[in-house]
Amino acid sequence: MESRDVPCPFCGCLCDDVFVTVENNRIIGVENCCTLGNAKFLSKKRLKHPIMRKNGKWVEVTYEEAIDETARILSDAMRPLLYGWSGTIGEAQVVGVHLAEEIGALIDSTTSVCHNPSILAIQEVGHPGCTLGQVKNRADLVVYWGCNPIEAHPRHMSRYTTYADGYFIDNTASDRTVIVVDIRRSEGAKVADEFVQVKPGGDYLVLSALRAMVRGKSDVVPESVAGVKKVQLQRVADLMMKAKFGAVFFGLGITMSRGKYKNVRNAIELVSELNRRTKFTISAMRGHFNVYGFNEVLTWMAGYPFAVDFSRGIAFYNPGETTVIDLLERREPDACLVVASDPGAHFPKSTIEHMAAIPTVQIDPCVNATTALCQVQIPVAITGIEVAGTAYRMDGVPIRMKKVLETEFPTDQEILERIVIRIREIRADG
Amino acid sequence: MAEILLKNAYVIDPISGINGELMDIALSGSRIVEEASPKAEVIDCHGFLTLPGGIDSHTHYSGTKVNFGRYMSPEDMRAGRTARRGPMHITSGYSVPTTYGNSYRYSALGYTTLVEGAMAPLEARHTHEEFKFTPLQDSFANTLFDGNWGMLRALEDNDIKHAAAIIAWTLSAVKGFAIKLTNPGGTEAWGFGKNVSCINQTIPTFDLTPADIIKGAIRANELLHLPHSVHLHCNNLGTPGNFTCTLGTFGHVPDLNDKRQSLYATHVQFHSYGGSGWGDFCSKSEPVAKMVNLRPQIVIDMGQVMFGRTTTMTADGPMEFNLYRLHHDKWSNHDIELETGSGIIPVNYRKKNLVNSIMWAIGLELALLVENPWQCMLTTDNPNGAPFVKYPEIIALLMSKRYRDAEFATIHQDTEKRVPLPAIDRELDWHEIAVMTRAGQAKALGIIDIGKGYLSPGAEGDIAIYPLRIDDIDPSADYEKVIKGFSQTEYTIKRGRVVSRRGDAIIDGENTTFWVKPKVPAAYDMQHDTAFQELFERYYSVRMSNYPVQEEYLHRNHCIETETDL
Amino acid sequence: MTFILSSGRTIPQGSFVEHKLSKGYQRATSMIYIHPLDIMELGIESGDRVHVTSDIGSVVLTTEATNDIPSGCVYIALGPYANAITGGYTHGTGMPDYKDISVEIEPTDDPVQTVWDLMEMIGGVRYGK
Repeated sequence: MESRDVPCPFCGCLCDDVFVTVENNRIIGVENCCTLGNAKFLSKKRLKHPIMRKNGKWVEVTYEEAIDETARILSDAMRPLLYGWSGTIGEAQVVGVHLAEEIGALIDSTTSVCHNPSILAIQEVGHPGCTLGQVKNRADLVVYWGCNPIEAHPRHMSRYTTYADGYFIDNTASDRTVIVVDIRRSEGAKVADEFVQVKPGGDYLVLSALRAMVRGKSDVVPESVAGVKKVQLQRVADLMMKAKFGAVFFGLGITMSRGKYKNVRNAIELVSELNRRTKFTISAMRGHFNVYGFNEVLTWMAGYPFAVDFSRGIAFYNPGETTVIDLLERREPDACLVVASDPGAHFPKSTIEHMAAIPTVQIDPCVNATTALCQVQIPVAITGIEVAGTAYRMDGVPIRMKKVLETEFPTDQEILERIVIRIREIRADG
Repeated sequence: MAEILLKNAYVIDPISGINGELMDIALSGSRIVEEASPKAEVIDCHGFLTLPGGIDSHTHYSGTKVNFGRYMSPEDMRAGRTARRGPMHITSGYSVPTTYGNSYRYSALGYTTLVEGAMAPLEARHTHEEFKFTPLQDSFANTLFDGNWGMLRALEDNDIKHAAAIIAWTLSAVKGFAIKLTNPGGTEAWGFGKNVSCINQTIPTFDLTPADIIKGAIRANELLHLPHSVHLHCNNLGTPGNFTCTLGTFGHVPDLNDKRQSLYATHVQFHSYGGSGWGDFCSKSEPVAKMVNLRPQIVIDMGQVMFGRTTTMTADGPMEFNLYRLHHDKWSNHDIELETGSGIIPVNYRKKNLVNSIMWAIGLELALLVENPWQCMLTTDNPNGAPFVKYPEIIALLMSKRYRDAEFATIHQDTEKRVPLPAIDRELDWHEIAVMTRAGQAKALGIIDIGKGYLSPGAEGDIAIYPLRIDDIDPSADYEKVIKGFSQTEYTIKRGRVVSRRGDAIIDGENTTFWVKPKVPAAYDMQHDTAFQELFERYYSVRMSNYPVQEEYLHRNHCIETETDL
Repeated sequence: MTFILSSGRTIPQGSFVEHKLSKGYQRATSMIYIHPLDIMELGIESGDRVHVTSDIGSVVLTTEATNDIPSGCVYIALGPYANAITGGYTHGTGMPDYKDISVEIEPTDDPVQTVWDLMEMIGGVRYGK
């Protein structure tokens, strides 16, 4: 059986043109996909049964027992943390948000450790953006700043920018200029028309210099800024001002480095400034395929894109306090539910030390680093391959993920719903 | 089937021709019926004002840009939060509340039906997701076509039937309700940072003027026999002197439909400005209202501005950028490939600001100068002019000259020289308010046939009962009582069930999404049109097969099929 | 020697991301990219192992010479090895310092630990072998 136009459940590009061949309920062929997506579609390893730690040893248990234990852990908790969410569909995230509200939990997503600073910057100065097709059809200048599309979003360039055909672009090779700004000569830098190599931590300075130049104040810019020569900066500023449609894409290179959200704010303000002269947009290169979806869901349900604390009976949001890293660093949570992410592999050591010290449950199809930190792991169907539902692309376009394989495994949503029901039963029993 | 008998209801139901009658209303299941059985639950209305459920024919409450308004504004979220209580979920937000916040607060005001003012087709799925979490109101989505490449190309070829076919395919695909044009041509120009300044100026990319787009869309709309007319956000929103553009636009509107208007012009307050700049900015509500009075084929809504903080959000991307350059506050923009644009900025309308004071006056003037209330709907273009929670104050302002004068005394003192408001004595009555908040909407939207906006047997059981005994109130003097009475219903009944009681939602609703599916002959089915398919394959960033909104997003829904002249 | 360390995504890390306990993932995320001049300065060869120590902790990584980053800077794929030397302080932003970390690097013969080893060091329990 062949399925066309399957959206890929890997990164925020959500390429929706993947061609999947299935035989005997196994994927035997994947076309149009990148290395990262291919690996996910063709992956066979998974956890087969729920597992639980008893007396320091892992044992297989039934779904019922695993769900019961999870419900008990969450019911007993005074300060539960519900974390993850970016690798599942909106329909499951909704259940997660309702669960958090009902038990007064703090809910946060992987956003907290990727584009959280981008959201903070947007909350200060807004976000001049657009859908990716707008870039594809119009952009004659593309800037990748602190991101590495070839390695993190491998088809971004071929679908939307460097190698994509567009309505107003006769020849994508000659009509589009690509600028890459990074601390290292990444693969993307090697195909750029202009590579700007910034010293680590220097993005804020370079952005400020460009803003000065765009405002006609080149004279205040010194000969070298964070390792970048003024002549090159002037060349970049001129390219930006001459562009008919410029599109900036930025990544963790500026959200995680010194300055954090102030870097992003500076980049947005550069783009806002450029809009007084020409057309410019800026977009975050979102990582997980549905990391943006969680931000959307939590926002329409609770008012904030991430890091919402329901413990006071209202939605309370204060990044730096209600963000997952800070919460764990303060050793506040006394129970943790991880869904569709792997903090064990992505959080600083001190924070996962705390996760290992409290009852932690993970809902995930695969054994991963977080498994080691858990008391219980509940395996589920793989979203976007075995489960259909909604995901939001990095530019906010919602796409329905498809189901191409049948499965016996329950979905994230089903498990979460069963946990909610069980918690209500436990509470009713007093 | 559950039954309710409302006793001693003081009913104003303009569509049924009832203007203040003490009567009983029987409900069975979701509908109003001739009489209830003895098993019916009896609710004594104590002579309180009983109206059909409120209908907001132009409000921004669901979808990409609304949610981005929340996303970028934690300060607004903090300004309106409520705790979880009974069956009510937590809510956040003042000018852009969360979906539950919108639903509970609209319900408290007696609103049972909402029309999302602007849904971008490419992101329609998002709008429908939020509809699901707006449980106490039925939803309709105005669908943006102002920069739709397929439609514009057909209009460029002067092929109205082809344009209509593309509209039909798109509305069916995205489960939309009506054709919305926002700054037609301007949003396409904004793709390269430009705008259009006049309805007769040729737009970029297509050999068309905004006037061509508007006229073409009106004709296509009638070919498809859509329930609603074209819903237009005129060009040049917010610019001094734009009233000439508005009048020019209205001058182009033919009278093509005997059941309703042929053009619905939205938030006309923002389009009734005189002056050559901000220095001589003034009201031009009089010529605009006069034009509406002369042309029954036009219906407008107010787009009233009320003072205080709010968030502006529109598909009109270039306008929001201009606003940003005035306010220097945060600015978001979101262009949508091949379709439209959008922008968001927070604003604070101040009494001490002359322009804001004039804007406030213009909205009221339009409502008072348009003679026929069926031609002017009460809106704030929520949340652009103000959050919808200000509706009770607007009702009171329209009903009381004394209240208007009292307010007028508090605004910028130069306003008097720029607006006709102080000279207008008209005070609207209860019946006119009922028209402007529900009956007129039902007629203008073309949804009377599906049971909306009236209280006779056969109608949907959508009812608002306000704690107002109108014979005891002189709205001219007791405007505080009017505000209070319209701020919180005694009961809001949605589809035959009490959903809201004295401001609290008491059950989770059973909302329905209404959408339109024009029946198109095979020759005009764009699904199999190769040129149309190629447009997707080459220029959209999603595949054509992934574009339509699937049934899964509709939950309860009602498809309105139309016969077409294609 | 003192270096500035940054972490980020790489293709090998991404392709093994669903198999975090695999040798491939371990290799992809325990590789430290370093300029050839710095390799010489350390007196080692590309592929030799080093101890990388920050204020937070220490971890053994395998070097990989590259001209793509300037001398004085080193790069590592995000993952458990990078996190072993990353602190949880966020400057009130919610975001830890995953980039621009000051580290000491010195040659070592110690083995590279497995992901399970790292998880057990902070109190976890490995599943399976």
